[in-house]
Amino acid sequence: MVQNRIDHKWGMVIDIDRCTGCNACVVACQAENNIPLNTEDRFRQRRAIQWIHIERYWEGEFPDVKARFIPILCQHCENAPCEPVCPVYATYHNNQGLNVQVYNRCVGTRYCANNCPYQVRFFNFWEPVWPESLRNQLNPDVSIRSRGIMEKCSFNVQRLRRAERIVEGQQGGRISDEDLSMGNFLPACVQSCSTSALVFGDFNDPNSKVSRMKEEHLHEGGRGYKLLDFLGTEPNVIYLSKVDPYATDAGDGHA
Amino acid sequence: MLIKRIALLLVVSVGASATGLVLLLAGAFVLRAWWTTPFEVLGFGAAPEQPIAFPHTIHAGVDVWTYPDGSPKLDADGSEMSGLGLDCTFCHRNVDKGATAGVPPVEQCLFCHASVQGDELGEVAKLVEAWDTKEPVAWERVHRVPDHVRFVHEAHIRYFLAQGETPSGEPALVAADVCSTCHGDVAAMAEVNQVRSLKMGDCVDCHRDYNAPTDCTTCHY
Amino acid sequence: MGITRRQFLRWTGVSALGAVVFNGCRIPEEELQIESPVNLPEDLVTGIDNWYATSCRQEPGCGVIIRVVEGRAKKVEGNPDFPVNRGKHSARSEAGLQTLYHPDRLQTPMFRADRNDDFLPISWDRAREILNAGMNSLSDRSRFLLVTEPLRGHLALLTSEFVQALGGRHMAFQSLEQINLHRAVKEVFGQDRLPDFDIENANYLFSFGADFLSTWLSPVRYAGGYGEFRQGDRKRGTHYQMDSRFSMTAANADKWVPVKPGGEGVLAMSMAYVIIRDGMGNADAAAALTDGQGPQALNAFAPDSAMVRDATGLDSGKIEDLAHSFADEGHQPSLAIGGGTAGAHRSGLFNLKAIYALNLLVDNIGKKGGVRFNPAPPLPELSREDVASVGMPASYREWQELAGSGSVDVLMVRGANPVYGLPPGADFARVVNEANFVIAFSSFMDETAGMANLVLPEYTYLEEWGDNVPSPGPSYQTLGIQQPVVRPFHEGTSSFGDELLTLGRELDLRLESRLEVTPDATMKDLIKAGVEKLWPENRGSVTAASFEGFWNGVLQRGGWWDTQATGDSGVAEIKPLDTAWDGSGLGDPGSGMFSLVPFLSNSIGDGQLAHLPWLQASPDPITTVVWHTWVEINSKVAEDMGIAEGDILEVSSGAGTLEAPAFPHPGVPPTTVSIPIGQGHTGMGRYAEGIGDYNYNTLSLLESTTDKDTGALAWAATKVRVKKADHGHSIDIPKFAGNQFAEEPHKGTIIKVTGPS
Repeated sequence: MVQNRIDHKWGMVIDIDRCTGCNACVVACQAENNIPLNTEDRFRQRRAIQWIHIERYWEGEFPDVKARFIPILCQHCENAPCEPVCPVYATYHNNQGLNVQVYNRCVGTRYCANNCPYQVRFFNFWEPVWPESLRNQLNPDVSIRSRGIMEKCSFNVQRLRRAERIVEGQQGGRISDEDLSMGNFLPACVQSCSTSALVFGDFNDPNSKVSRMKEEHLHEGGRGYKLLDFLGTEPNVIYLSKVDPYATDAGDGHA
Repeated sequence: MLIKRIALLLVVSVGASATGLVLLLAGAFVLRAWWTTPFEVLGFGAAPEQPIAFPHTIHAGVDVWTYPDGSPKLDADGSEMSGLGLDCTFCHRNVDKGATAGVPPVEQCLFCHASVQGDELGEVAKLVEAWDTKEPVAWERVHRVPDHVRFVHEAHIRYFLAQGETPSGEPALVAADVCSTCHGDVAAMAEVNQVRSLKMGDCVDCHRDYNAPTDCTTCHY
Repeated sequence: MGITRRQFLRWTGVSALGAVVFNGCRIPEEELQIESPVNLPEDLVTGIDNWYATSCRQEPGCGVIIRVVEGRAKKVEGNPDFPVNRGKHSARSEAGLQTLYHPDRLQTPMFRADRNDDFLPISWDRAREILNAGMNSLSDRSRFLLVTEPLRGHLALLTSEFVQALGGRHMAFQSLEQINLHRAVKEVFGQDRLPDFDIENANYLFSFGADFLSTWLSPVRYAGGYGEFRQGDRKRGTHYQMDSRFSMTAANADKWVPVKPGGEGVLAMSMAYVIIRDGMGNADAAAALTDGQGPQALNAFAPDSAMVRDATGLDSGKIEDLAHSFADEGHQPSLAIGGGTAGAHRSGLFNLKAIYALNLLVDNIGKKGGVRFNPAPPLPELSREDVASVGMPASYREWQELAGSGSVDVLMVRGANPVYGLPPGADFARVVNEANFVIAFSSFMDETAGMANLVLPEYTYLEEWGDNVPSPGPSYQTLGIQQPVVRPFHEGTSSFGDELLTLGRELDLRLESRLEVTPDATMKDLIKAGVEKLWPENRGSVTAASFEGFWNGVLQRGGWWDTQATGDSGVAEIKPLDTAWDGSGLGDPGSGMFSLVPFLSNSIGDGQLAHLPWLQASPDPITTVVWHTWVEINSKVAEDMGIAEGDILEVSSGAGTLEAPAFPHPGVPPTTVSIPIGQGHTGMGRYAEGIGDYNYNTLSLLESTTDKDTGALAWAATKVRVKKADHGHSIDIPKFAGNQFAEEPHKGTIIKVTGPS
């Protein structure tokens, strides 16, 4: 019996009207993906690594001041600017909608990071080090990236692979939203998000929540939009706009 | 003068060809190690020495037991003893459930070896000592893929069981039938050694033959 | 022969060339070996991950599940079944793993007879001997003081019995204590326990000073409700934040109303006046609150009075609008909550009472989208008054009295760090220095442990038994169980509960008979005995035919709860509003002066979690600053004062002076400055101690102002003088913003905003 492989298109919907900017996703991601400790020096050198991070934008002046939060992670673009510039094909788009970074191919040119308009690619300028005891926490399912390697959000492909193996391989049947959440297969950031601002799922499955949200919101006049859409990168991450009943200047938020 | 020159030429050419030969051999060694398993020389490619000389032949094999010198081991009544023929999954319990096959804990060995005392070679005594001192046994790893490779035993065994046939054409009815595909006939190995290169090309060839995914993130993440 | 692959690799590692060549594919030594464990793990197979449910101590009240692979904890996630947090968790819970595997965890007991000497490591047997001798040196057992964090569940029961049997004293320490909140809830609602706030179903949410999405009470629970409040299957809720600081919660509000520090209560009273005057809301409640006199009882708080304008800094139109928004019939259910800075003034209790009374006016008690009262804990012994008091923090005034009393001979501290966490006015170091013998149970060498005679290293919560009655609960009876998910990582550590039981036996306190357990009982037995009493009741989330089945079910789910066992449905008797407003100490701070509004860090809290690198590196939501203290100051004011980001400021109050870099941003009210609490440690390991150039303990700035009724520390009432430091230094503040150079792309819209529809 050759199992028919099920085509997935993994993607995310981020409702920034729900996001409170609490940073739970940031730390959850670091715990799951063996991200090196971001010491004070790394921040000073602007070389801290956060696969998902919260950007904060100011609007207005006191007292009518507003701060807006937006979680930014790899947008897993269908038409990714990072891919064609890699001389060694270390980054490419796979058939499941993931923009993949192959660590063992990467030679560290950093062209991809320079060409990424979302600035979500991070370079390992140093060998990652942990005190011996903290190494006990490291996730055995994720490679530790050595010095000279580019890294970025993987949509926790290690969990998706496990889900495919257990749900589709052993039990049979397509991975549903419920399988993802009950089996601890959701990306760590999605799982941790206390306001459920991050929703993850399969755009190829018409019953998934992300598909229904896309249907509901991503149209003219809807709340859905894609980040820097005009660049034509076709991200697999959809944002839902902030709702502000007292917006003075609806539509834009700049740094 | 001429003789001198010829002699010099000879010396130089012999020296050069000797150097060339050494370089060639070294190059062949490196290339062979790069593409598949290294030549069995200087200890490379040899089965590693284990802290306890665990013979898979006795436990998993069904042939007559022999001492290292080749003489058969005899039972109390003088008859030849043969292997137990244990299934691989009897000890490597996790192999059809998860990513790693798993090495049995000392306690599991003691299930049998609490009563089976072993012989004059004293290997079982090391096991009992490990149990008494609560010191884990540090086995030398034989099969190891680099740490940027995620290999899952369970999925491979499940696939071939569903196929009902291993790549070598043997019937695959239980999990243990599949193991020899990559690990060789471990039951016949007194000291376990790696028989397949287990390099990426090896993996990918097989994946292509069976129409398995060859996307990078199948194994690398 | 004899050249093994391992040696080959070692050789190549020696030459510099080899090191470079093999860098990318270097094989760590241990990967060439596989250790077969000695024992067959009962419930775990090697290579397979298991998830165990337990309770979190770093995010109080939350239930978590821990991924354990081959005996090592790998990941913390929210327990999807647990009623408080429903599958969600915070960065603080996540970092529990770093507490467990912290490189600077104490691994063995340490002792020194003279506190000027260095510590010497000793064995546990010796440590117990010294502990007993220390306890026996007490001539008067009332001169024993046990300081812990506020405890709940069976550890609270054990602690209470221990202290009573011994005849000593117990004080619970919390650095920014919630006493005013507890008192306000008691006086307004008649409740002994904090209520649950149904943010999820509220329509209009008015929060006064409570940073409920970040640090206040139960942020994970509130955030869970907040997501639905925003974009659930219902009309989008509206959130007003009346706050003297532009907190993370204020940034999320639809409208932030920057009220003057301390004026929150006057604002609430003024809103109540408008609501009653305009005949809105519940007439019965209005009558009861005004003692039948109607609005004139609150005349002093009319929004157009000069007093109200001075206290709140808001004009009357705004207050009228707020009151109407709150009480409008179409806006129900509306909900008012208050805490944080609103309760941290001389009139903190007055403020909170006024705020919570607004709920009575809109009659939301026990209703969907309103205030829901919590029932007593499921076991009667856990709701005993003496046990509840172990969970109630001592007031600042009590700490002050303690500091001057010289009444402590033997001091035992556990899970609390008062030397760091008390402002200079309540000099806890003095209490420590005056005691003859000081015992500290701690996992880290924090400031308090660093002054002790005997340091006893503790298990972390992932290694020990415990239980937890969440406070505030989810409006029904809940008991969270904490079980060891991994074996103790360090052999030389132990459980506080077990050691207390052992000590009780040594001192012949007969705790076992008081607790009704066997003479050799451990903490686990104590909890199991408690759970056994729940089993015959045959109700709630777990029911089973046998007790073992019940116990396993409770452990698997991470606890027990009964959604039917809810609290009171209404307020028995509504008391008239307290109109005795004392405005002293408020008002404009004066020229060159600012009101200091300290705040708890979103990641490291009050400093108890400053030793965890994930949390230190977690950017502050508003400023994105990491690993550092900073001073938030209004950007216009800063410009006028010639202050740029990173300039070192000297901030001085009546209590002290500190230096920290300026972080000007537009969200700071011009008359205030804000400084996060939590940095400036002189202990707690490599990630907390002495980090940064200008990291100071913000608590050292706080003056000893207390609430006039409760004695709670008025931690938001300090006025400070701010100027550029004389040395004129400036630093590059470590922060995430600007980490990624992104000039080009941000020409496009990053955040789209859907305006009024």
